[in-house]
Amino acid sequence: MTGTPLHPIEVKILYSLKDEEWKDFDSVVRATKLNPDQIRRALEWLASKSYVQVRQDVVTEVQSRGRMPPELLLVSKLREKGGKALLDEIRKEFGSSDEFSAALGRAKNSSWVRTSNDLSGPLLVLVEGEGPQKFEDLISMLEAPLRQDSLSQDVVHLVEEMVKRGIVSRREQKVTKVRATESGLRALSSLSGAEYDERLTSEMLSTGSWRGKQFRPINVEATAPRLYPGRRHPVREFIGEVREAYISMGFTEVLGSNIQSAFWNFDALFTPQDHPGRDLQDTFYLKGLSDRSLKRTGLVANVASVHEDGWKTGSKGWRYNWDIQEARRLVLRTHNTSLTIQALSNSGKQETRVFAVGRVYRNENLDYKHLAEFHQMDGIMIGENLNVRNLMGFLNEFYKKLGMSSVKLWPSYFPYTEPSLQVMGYSNLAKDWIELGGSGVFRPEVTWPLGVRKPVLAWGLGIERLILLRLGLDDLRTLYESDLGWLRRRPEFASSETLLR
Amino acid sequence: MPVVKLYFDRLTRLVGADRKRVLARLPYIGLDIESRESDSVRVEYSPNRPDLATDYGIAKALRGILGIQLGLPRYSTSSSGVQVRVDRKLARVRPYVACAVARGLKMDKEDVRQLISMQEDLHNGLGRKRRKVAIGLHNLDVIRPPISYESAAPTLKLTPLGGSQKIELAQILAESQTGRTYGHILAGASGYPILKDSKGLIFSFPPIINGNETKVSVTTRNLFIDVTSTDEEAGEDTLAIVCTTLADMGARIGFVLVKYGDRRRVTPDLRPRKFSLDRDLVRKVTGLAINSSEIDVCLRRSRIEPLGRVSVLAPRYRIDLLHPVDLAEEVALGYGIDRIEPAYPPSPTPGSFNSVSQLIEKFVELMTSSGLTESMGYELLDELTLYQHFGRPSNGKIEVENPRSIEHAVLRDSVLPSLMGVLSRNVKEEYPQRVFEVGRVYNREEEYVRESWHLGVLIAHAQAGYSEAKSYLDAFFRTLYGKELRTHGSSRWGFLEGRCASIEFSGGTLGHVGEITPGSIAAFGVNLPVVGFELDLTSLLERETRAEEGTTK
Repeated sequence: MTGTPLHPIEVKILYSLKDEEWKDFDSVVRATKLNPDQIRRALEWLASKSYVQVRQDVVTEVQSRGRMPPELLLVSKLREKGGKALLDEIRKEFGSSDEFSAALGRAKNSSWVRTSNDLSGPLLVLVEGEGPQKFEDLISMLEAPLRQDSLSQDVVHLVEEMVKRGIVSRREQKVTKVRATESGLRALSSLSGAEYDERLTSEMLSTGSWRGKQFRPINVEATAPRLYPGRRHPVREFIGEVREAYISMGFTEVLGSNIQSAFWNFDALFTPQDHPGRDLQDTFYLKGLSDRSLKRTGLVANVASVHEDGWKTGSKGWRYNWDIQEARRLVLRTHNTSLTIQALSNSGKQETRVFAVGRVYRNENLDYKHLAEFHQMDGIMIGENLNVRNLMGFLNEFYKKLGMSSVKLWPSYFPYTEPSLQVMGYSNLAKDWIELGGSGVFRPEVTWPLGVRKPVLAWGLGIERLILLRLGLDDLRTLYESDLGWLRRRPEFASSETLLR
Repeated sequence: MPVVKLYFDRLTRLVGADRKRVLARLPYIGLDIESRESDSVRVEYSPNRPDLATDYGIAKALRGILGIQLGLPRYSTSSSGVQVRVDRKLARVRPYVACAVARGLKMDKEDVRQLISMQEDLHNGLGRKRRKVAIGLHNLDVIRPPISYESAAPTLKLTPLGGSQKIELAQILAESQTGRTYGHILAGASGYPILKDSKGLIFSFPPIINGNETKVSVTTRNLFIDVTSTDEEAGEDTLAIVCTTLADMGARIGFVLVKYGDRRRVTPDLRPRKFSLDRDLVRKVTGLAINSSEIDVCLRRSRIEPLGRVSVLAPRYRIDLLHPVDLAEEVALGYGIDRIEPAYPPSPTPGSFNSVSQLIEKFVELMTSSGLTESMGYELLDELTLYQHFGRPSNGKIEVENPRSIEHAVLRDSVLPSLMGVLSRNVKEEYPQRVFEVGRVYNREEEYVRESWHLGVLIAHAQAGYSEAKSYLDAFFRTLYGKELRTHGSSRWGFLEGRCASIEFSGGTLGHVGEITPGSIAAFGVNLPVVGFELDLTSLLERETRAEEGTTK
């Protein structure tokens, strides 16, 4: 045997075509009991080997629209009533009088019924004969689509009339026809007689009958069904790296609610209540919900005073009347510093390092560089001797772990840090410095109200932009579109050259 | 963040340094380069430094940092002879006005453009969109002092800037662009604030619009500046920033006497302000080992003048200095942020993962090793996806205020809608599709919102059926806990009646498993059967974290 071995599906199909005639696709389906997709695919293989010819024909098909002609309805009603009934009685059983008149007219013309008079009124009587039965048979035959050229001469005009009446529909249909070629039949005959087995069975193994058996060679070049291993989301993968980096530098991970009071998200961070960043345009506030347990006592009172007049810190404060209602509003956290600040407030006298990585929210219109929900990896470091140099040292070390060659800091402004420094990293991909986030030393106005007098270094750093760079993407929305093609087929290593290193 | 466009020819002339030196230093005074052209650069500046709104202000800072001119820029004022009387009736509407006169200006087109742009930035930042502070700039030569800041009837008429005829104040509020944008600031006021001169010319309607008669152009030599506010200090700060900039442009600043009945204010006051300096704090925060005279030089490069050991004089426009710690940053900037040596401090303690996030990682790992693809969806969705597509009422929904997009307006209470969204966006993608998400969901409970972690799984393909979903669920519990879960016939929105069960484990109902209703599948535009489950992970997370706490104690 030459050429590629025949697949059992190909054999079945060729076998169904062995009488060399053109066959309808449907008849191949019936003969092989294979599913149409399998046959279509196999026909492509066979055609490519010139074992079959395939052509498309257009045929005209007729089919009943599933509605019984009214004259037949009339006949069947009469039959139910024993062959005769009062005209008025039958009329009532028809929905519309038009339909009844049409039915009566046609039935009379075909001599299926006749009228006579009874004492109670005009009577309708069924005439014995084959007419109605033949017609019924035709209708039931037409329930399945039928090729017009297969109709017998005596019914052609009847079908034509029913098409006009809208009882039968007529449409053009494309039909695939196939025929085995000579070489196809030769390939088939070269097979016959050859003793081969499809697959190894457990029985063959236990009985030893596999010895001396031949197994059919298969097409080892054919494509196999696709399998997709389960995969983690690229954002989760990156967050995993971030967590490892933090842990290796002695940080404790904290987790917290995505919903926070404005107090922890803003007030505790010395952000004045009329600060533009607190506007509805930038922050998601939850409609009609607030944290009523928040009272102006303890550290809340300290924070309130620091806003109003600087409290004991030596600051001028923001010099306005602080409003507890504003602080009680619930927001979707705009940064994870709302969590690290709470960890700071619970830290006691400890020198510690804390980080929080998770989702943050901003009221944004989505575009290639803005998302309403994204992630940040924020942290703080508390220690008596910590300073700006240590902040820089940490950021250098941290980004080295995440694959950034170079980090630099530029002065910036945040209400809660002094100095405030913008973190820039050099991207070999963008061939430019890109903004990574903000950092600084917490102001005394932030730490003192929480009972912390030690220096606290703090930072809020973005995640998504780094992931885009790694994956060689340029639209943030790609990350959360859940395109399964991307999630399942994204090559794990294809982007290794595009890493930030 | 506000943005200012700087032309190199002007800036290099004002600074007295070449383009390269100027460009290299911009980021180190806190200016973020946004974009660059051949003749100019656009930079972002922090709203707490409105003095950097023009090239005059930026040049001042650069001259310091480049060592061209150190210490305090000096400003003087003389009497303008102008008086402003304030109407008490404005006390509840817009009580304060601070004014100044600037004479002898020779502005070119670019000066005027920058001045107007600075005014806009001040309105939006310090002025809180004109609510707190609004600035009016007028051609002084048209005004006949004394001036009155008074309350006027809504029917009073004024020719608005750019207009040709007199219009009633109420009509300006209702019909003009600025009236509609800022009119809410005056909502409920019985009378509207206006500025009027001794001849009865109404030349300003703060905080809405100026009159057309006093319009400022390149030919204007003498300015009258009014700053109305609801906060006297913020108003006077704003006036000082405008006036120091005008002085930098070459104007002579004249002060104005503002009379509130018996109380009098003389504005502007451009004298430098005294702040206390804590040299140890500076060293402690910056980590720089520098002596006192080095600190002095650094401060002077930031245009701040040391005054003995424990205080400094800062220019009047530096309204951002609140606390001695702010001088630490001034020293760091004067020193040069890029010259500070990083020093990584080794950790005193080992790090530790949070036990809940470790467990979540575990759950994710199990699902991916079962062959499911992880998706991450948004938590803010639309009502259609969350409620209508499942034919359930939306009365418990948790909405955010003023969402920019209605597609991200309601917090999800379940992960199934997110996952159905995934299937609906992937109808052209190969089947079978098997996806999961571990994420947060939100449920309203009386006055507060309960946040919980949920695991959702959906499976879609032609043969998908209940038992496949249950297999994955079984695997989850058997692998993690070595125990069988029980499923009880149940009903839940989204699942087909008779093909839905509650998930019973360890004495509690943790969720539901079943076949998704054809109605929901069709609503999401999917054409194949969908089955799956949703699990509330709360009790599983609590159970493990409790056990862990027990062992560490």
